[in-house]
Amino acid sequence: MIVMDRGRIGFVALVVLMLAGCAQETKITRVDSGVVTDLSGRWNDTDSRIVAESMVKEALEYPWLNNFSSSKRRQPVVLVGTIQNSSHEHINVGTFVSDLERELTNSQKVTFVAGKGDREELRTERKEQAMYAREDTQKAPGKEIGADYMMKGTIATILDEAEGTKAVFYQIDLQMVDLESNAKVWYGQKKIKKVIEKKRSIF
Amino acid sequence: MSLLASRPTALIQARWGFFIFTQFLVALVAFVLLAGCGPSVNRYLLIEASLRAHDPKGADAIVAGAEKDYGAKSRVLYGMDRGMTLHLAGDYQQSNAVLEQAEDEIDRLYTRKIRTESLAFMTNDTALFYEGDSYEQVLINVLKALNYALLGQWQEALVEARRIDHRLNLLSDRTQEKNAYRDDGFARYLSGILYESTGDVNNAFIAYRKAYETFESTRSWSHTDVPSQLRADLLRTAEALHFTQEFAEYQQAFPNTKWESSQALQQLAQVIVISYNGRAPRKEDQFLDLPISLNALQLVLLNRGLSQPNRQSNQAMDTVLYGLNGRVVRVALPRLVPQKTHVPIDTVNLIPDHGMKVAVNTELVHNVTALADKSLSERIAGITVKALARATSKFAMAEGATRGAQHAAGKDAGPWVGLLVGLVTKGFAVASEEADKRSWQTLPDEIHLARVWVPPGRYQVQGSAGGFHNPLKSEAMRTLSLGPGETAVLIQRVMP
Repeated sequence: MIVMDRGRIGFVALVVLMLAGCAQETKITRVDSGVVTDLSGRWNDTDSRIVAESMVKEALEYPWLNNFSSSKRRQPVVLVGTIQNSSHEHINVGTFVSDLERELTNSQKVTFVAGKGDREELRTERKEQAMYAREDTQKAPGKEIGADYMMKGTIATILDEAEGTKAVFYQIDLQMVDLESNAKVWYGQKKIKKVIEKKRSIF
Repeated sequence: MSLLASRPTALIQARWGFFIFTQFLVALVAFVLLAGCGPSVNRYLLIEASLRAHDPKGADAIVAGAEKDYGAKSRVLYGMDRGMTLHLAGDYQQSNAVLEQAEDEIDRLYTRKIRTESLAFMTNDTALFYEGDSYEQVLINVLKALNYALLGQWQEALVEARRIDHRLNLLSDRTQEKNAYRDDGFARYLSGILYESTGDVNNAFIAYRKAYETFESTRSWSHTDVPSQLRADLLRTAEALHFTQEFAEYQQAFPNTKWESSQALQQLAQVIVISYNGRAPRKEDQFLDLPISLNALQLVLLNRGLSQPNRQSNQAMDTVLYGLNGRVVRVALPRLVPQKTHVPIDTVNLIPDHGMKVAVNTELVHNVTALADKSLSERIAGITVKALARATSKFAMAEGATRGAQHAAGKDAGPWVGLLVGLVTKGFAVASEEADKRSWQTLPDEIHLARVWVPPGRYQVQGSAGGFHNPLKSEAMRTLSLGPGETAVLIQRVMP
């Protein structure tokens, strides 16, 4: 009898253990876009947003902005150029560029103009307007505002890994370059370091 | 020999008397034990047939259709197989998507699940998640880099070159033995080509140098010489970087190598040809039947005399015979079966709109079969120890269960029950023994490469293989329009 009871307990325990692994299912939770979600340790939306916010803020605090405004009596015109990905990850640079553009536009301290890709689309639209739109609503060519400065930079990584622990070091370098003189009026650098630890074995 | 053979015949006949009475039960047991062990349609034969017919899309459809057959334990293998067929079919974006998933899965598999390991110890290594050999993992990044280059996304291709470097550095740190697979000449060489094609000559030189050192140090087992093009690349980049000492050393090392300076190539266009030749090796079971009594030895010898070993169809017979005998421990080990290509060299012709055609001869840069062989030989000692421990444990458990059942059934029914339980448990121990035969089989046997610089213009690309001795022709490729300084990547699949 005692043997039977032990056998039953053992059987039930075995079934519970076997079913424990079957309890996974998809679970979706809505979270605020500002919530930090570090899942894999890779470059994510939080990194993109934080870097863009802090670097644009820093860039606009430096004297080049006031120097330009006081000498030319207008806001400088800025555009975002190429942000080169020199990292170990396939980073969506477009999202980072959008974050930079948003921060620059919303700062109200500079006039922001469309980048190369957008300009092509706008010019095509103007050409089509010249052919198909009513004359009094057509937008004439040759009235674009030329940029005074271009913001460009790189995202680079240094990886170090051993025994399941990985240290990822991101270095984002941004610079504001005077389009007339090629002088670099501002150079900003932001560093992010992440340590990702993986267990060698679990049950 | 004849004496040894005559005794078990009598024994088997005696047991077959019992077998007739219980044949229904035994057939049922064998059916249950072998359920799922039957040979599924060999998808790789179908894939090969499609590739021979120059139908990579058909090959990809076969892999895609067999997704469920791969199972949850072989997600990485599915990703690798599919990544290759999509690459050959020209769907580079989708190929990268599935290869990226496979890479993520490999990352996750770093953490081993004890319950999966335990299950594998009770059955066989196919119960483990497949994470690929080290050389296969490197080839995932190589293939992704090529996909990005073919899409013209050179910066993304460079991300893969950096990942290759990181993966190989990790491998080198992890592997102590100097003669082991701890670096990859082809992966390094391709990284160098990508760096140079995007204007990063410094990183290109470092990659070329590492590639050269790796080709040199692994020549004894990789059966791959330093490509002559790599020698020229080393000389050109060393000179462009004004590395006078290295340049002098390489000039001394390669006195007969013809090369042109970076300046001379600046106004030309580059064509890189990658040729996948033949079929990757496959693995098969190698069964070792270890008898632990004289009767069992005779049975094993007789059984080997009657039937061809390692045939799937004979496994059911082995299961029943060894289960009844109860004194045979079976160990399954993987064995590599090379499927060498018969194409030693292939040529691609670039036919300009005006002027002379350019014949591009590829050369061997990656011997997949040699790498697979090296990888298995490095792991076989560990696999054998594990297989022996597993077989012994399974036998001990079966023996324990048989004796326990005999004891519980009492004096009258004990022998019958013991025989039946022994048949089931020991039969299971024999039937469940199977080597892990999984490997990336959509890979070729060899990868060949050629680099050539041509005047800018339009070219018709004509692929051919086998030279004059073998009229095997690969499919016609495409028209290239090349500007100065531009790079085009061409791939071709050559069978067999």
